[in-house]
Parts: sequence; structure tokens; C-alpha cells
Amino acid sequence: MSGGLFTRQPYLSTAAARTLQYIVLILCAILFVLPFIWIWSSALKTSNEIMRDPFALPTAFRWENLVQAWTVGRFGSYIGNSMLYCATIVPAVLVLSSCAGYALGSLKIPGEKFIFPIFLLGIMVPIQAIMIPQYYQVRDLGLLGNHGGVIVPGIAVGLAFGIFLMRAFFRGLPQEIAQAARLDGASEWQVFWLVMLPMARSGLLTLGVFQFMISWNMFLIPLLYGQIEAIRPISTGIMFFFGRYSVDRGMIAAGVTLSSVPIIVVYVFFQRYFINGLTAGALK
Amino acid sequence: MTTVDHTRATAGAIAPAKARAAGGRDPSVGQSYRFGYALLAVPFLLYAYFILYPLLQTIYFALTSWDGAKPVKEFVGADNFIRMLTDPLFWGAFGHTLVWVVLGTIVTMVLALGLALLVWNSPRGFLFFRTIYFMPQILPAVVVGFVWVWMYNPLFGIINRSLKSVGLGALALNWIGDPDIALYAVLAASIWAHIGLIFVIFVAALQNVDNELLDAARIDGANVWQRFIYVVIPQLSNAITLVTVLLLVNGLQGFDHVWVMTRGGPNESTQLLATYAYQKAFMENQIGYGSALSVILALIALAVSVLTVNARERAAAGQA
Repeated sequence: MSGGLFTRQPYLSTAAARTLQYIVLILCAILFVLPFIWIWSSALKTSNEIMRDPFALPTAFRWENLVQAWTVGRFGSYIGNSMLYCATIVPAVLVLSSCAGYALGSLKIPGEKFIFPIFLLGIMVPIQAIMIPQYYQVRDLGLLGNHGGVIVPGIAVGLAFGIFLMRAFFRGLPQEIAQAARLDGASEWQVFWLVMLPMARSGLLTLGVFQFMISWNMFLIPLLYGQIEAIRPISTGIMFFFGRYSVDRGMIAAGVTLSSVPIIVVYVFFQRYFINGLTAGALK
Repeated sequence: MTTVDHTRATAGAIAPAKARAAGGRDPSVGQSYRFGYALLAVPFLLYAYFILYPLLQTIYFALTSWDGAKPVKEFVGADNFIRMLTDPLFWGAFGHTLVWVVLGTIVTMVLALGLALLVWNSPRGFLFFRTIYFMPQILPAVVVGFVWVWMYNPLFGIINRSLKSVGLGALALNWIGDPDIALYAVLAASIWAHIGLIFVIFVAALQNVDNELLDAARIDGANVWQRFIYVVIPQLSNAITLVTVLLLVNGLQGFDHVWVMTRGGPNESTQLLATYAYQKAFMENQIGYGSALSVILALIALAVSVLTVNARERAAAGQA
């Protein structure tokens, strides 16, 4: 683990250099954290307090903002919808990507060389390039304005990367094990579900975390297909919330707080999985 | 095990030959293929319906003057593309996207690499810093955007308050309200949001840099800068290519932060290709023209991916 451009350099491994290193690291940390601390603390202030001195601590802790945002501001509903979308999209993408990834990467069905690039296309093309006709596809299925209108396209958009990742994982597995299981009389389904899939566990975990983040944060899909208040997830819901309470700064700060604190708490506990999952996702 | 060599684990050319040599067809092969197609059916249909077909439709819509409502989509050939050539807003969005992508890629990369170098010796508290730098990645773009809208607020935002409190009131600008600087202000927020991811990628890549080469260079009298340029950078070339593709493609898709912070304004000064296409198609019902814009965006994204991956393969071939 030890390495470094500077540290082995006598004149730079001095206490002064170390101090400088930490000063820069801490300043950067402040740059990332301060905006949030400012807004979280603003959630406990009145609009006037926020205007007067942004750096002051709240005088009286006004929890009403948070309570109001949750109830009147519909945050409870937004977060519920976000959870519903994640609870449906993530497992569906995991299962479907595993199926296709296994067929392409492990069974290597004939035509694989032709089919796989078609899925690759989906990774390279930005969603903006398909969103216009996709809107009509969703409408024609009668999914506009209900939860399915967000869930089904959400799954479809996740498939390209999911299949790409799972195919790579299944390719890397020793195929002899599948053969051995077949000789022992296992059905094709048993080979897939009981033998090969458990071996791709780390791939599933990576994809699961990645897809969770994508689904929790998805913006364009619910913006296009989930335009009814009752089905908005947090990502678009908060935008309309901000529009509604544009003059009530305390409420806006409460909205930012409610939409960031829970996910940050989850992140702090599972940060290793988040960082691994998102990095693997980015390095597609 | 010869009869079951149809797993084609590595060399596709050898396996069928072996199977033939072993006495012909293995009945289980057809069975696993059938099973494979069955597994592929649902994901493929979903993908075809929601991604592949719309992709082709985008191209078709781009050749029509459809407004999204008329029953007939009037075919107009390349009219939409010709219109683009004389549309100042398109060229504006094109220029902004270029600035957004090029500047965003360079600045993000330099800052993330600098930070990664700072933690290369795994200082105490490394995990703490990594957790914090990465944090914006996990938040919805809307939240990040709004946090920055507040930071930039000329009245109560902490940026201007801080500048005024240290006597730099002259620098306290109307960040996202001034057409001359709004694009850069939004880009700064976007860079802030993406740095952590690139930082983590570089940290991982730095772990694979050969320390003995570094030591050798030091003994040979190379200074810090020379060691960085001639020893570290070449060993990071793979990571740098990956990060470049990632930032370029993400940059081209830039939509969320702009949409949340400025909606392309003020005065169209932050309009990117992606937001412009959205606005034309969904706010102004110009499905045909919006689709044509999307096609151009997709072509640029594809070209960038292919070019960068090619460059990378050439570089890899050069190394081998």
C-alpha cells in the first residue's frame, strides 16, 4: 500500500509536508461537506434567520419544517414511491440481466457475437436519443401516469449495462463446473439457478448497488413518464416541491435534508459497496 | 470430458473441431442452447421494445415534421438537419456542449488526479476522506443542483457571503443569473458532483504503479515532476483513457444539473444539446426537430466512444 511521489523524498516527508498534505485534504473535505451542513442547519431555521446570517447556528431548533415537508410537502409519498421503484426495478434488472448474461456469457448461444453488440449499443447511446419515441411506446402500453410507466422503462434502461456486466462475470466462471453438474443429471435450469448463479454473487452485488443508485436517482424517466403527483419519486418530486415552496426557504432546506440525510446514512454504513459498485458501473 | 467440450470456454475454433473428433453431436448442446434462448427472450423483448425500436424511431421522426399530435407524420427528408445549420440556438447549444465537455473533462481529471496523488501514501484517515469526497455521487442531481442554487444565491448564498466577509465583495457575482458566467457556474457544480468518482478510480489505478520503477527513477536523479511525467503518467494511461471516455460521454449527456439549476437560461446561455432537444420535443412539441437534435447527440456520443476506445487499443498495442 505504501507508495507515493513525495513521501520518500526526505525534504517532503518532513512534518511540514505532512501538515500541508492534511491541510489540503481537510480543506477539500470541507468543500464537500460544508454545503450540506449549511442547508441541514437551515432546515431548522426560519426564512428570516436564513437571510440574516447563513453561518449562524439555528437559535431555536424548528423541527416543524421537517414535519411539514414530510406531510404537507408530500415527502412521505415521494420517498415511498422511490422505495417502490427501487424494490421493483433492482430485482428485475438483476434477474433479467443474469438470465441474458448467462445465455450470452456462459452458454454462448449461437448468434451471441451478433446479439451482444446490440446490447452494447444501449450503453453507448444517451437516453436523450431514445426518449422521444420511448414516450410514445410507454403511452401505447397504457403505462403513462401509473407506477408501471416508471418501473418498466426503468428496467429496460438498466438492462444494457446489467447484461454487459453479468455476461462478463459468467464468462469468467469455470464452465467445467456446469458440465459436471449436467453429467450429474442436473437440468439446465438447475445448472443456471443452483450452480452458476451463486458463483456470480459478487457481480450481482455490484450490479445491485449500482442499479439501486441509478433507480433512486433516476430523473429523466420519472420526469417524462411519471408526471402525476401521486407517483413521483423523490428525484422529481423534490423539484416540484421546490417550485411550490420557492419562497419558504426553511421548507426548501427541509426538503434537501429529507432527500439527502437518509441516503447518506445508508451510504456511510455500506460505503465500500457503494464505492465498488459505482466504480465498476462507471468503468463499463 | 472430450464429448462435453462444447463449452467453448476460450477458443471458439478449437471446440467444435474437438466435438466433431469426439464423434459428433452432444444432445445436451441443443438443449442448453434452447434454454439459453428462452432465458434471453424476455430481456431481449423488453430491450427491443423500449430501447432498440425507439432508437430507430428517433431516426425516422427526425425525418418528419411531426408535432406529436397530428395523425400523419409528414416526411420532410433532411429538412430538420438543414434547419439546424441556420439555427443560432443549435450552434449556441453545440458550443456550450463543447465547452461543457472539454473543460469539464480536463478540470475534473486534473483535480481528481491531484487529490488521488495526495492520498497515494495512504495517510491516516484515508477512508474518511474517501467517504466524504465520494458523497455527492450518491445524491440525486436535483439535490446537488439545489444545494448549488443556494450556494450561488446573490443574497444569502454562502459563496457571496464568504467573499464579502473577506473583502472580495467585487467578486460576489450573480453566478447563475449572469449569462456570461452561468455556464461555468453550473459546470463547476457538475464537476464538484463528479470528482469523487474519478478520484476513486485514480486511487485504485495508483495502487498498481510500480514502486520499484519510481525508486529507480529517483536514484537516477529524476525530480518529483519528472517522476510524475515520465514514470507515473505512462503507467496510468489505461485509467486516463477510461476516465476520459467516462467524462466525455457523461458530459455529452449533461442534462440533470442544467435542468435543475437554470433550465438552459438565462438567455439560453446554459443550453446544452441534451436540454435543447428536450425543450424542443417536450416543451415546444417539435418532435421532428427534437428528434433530429437527439440523432446528432447520439452520433457525437457514439463517435467519441469509438474514437477513444480505438485510441486506447492502439495505445495498448503499442505497449505490448
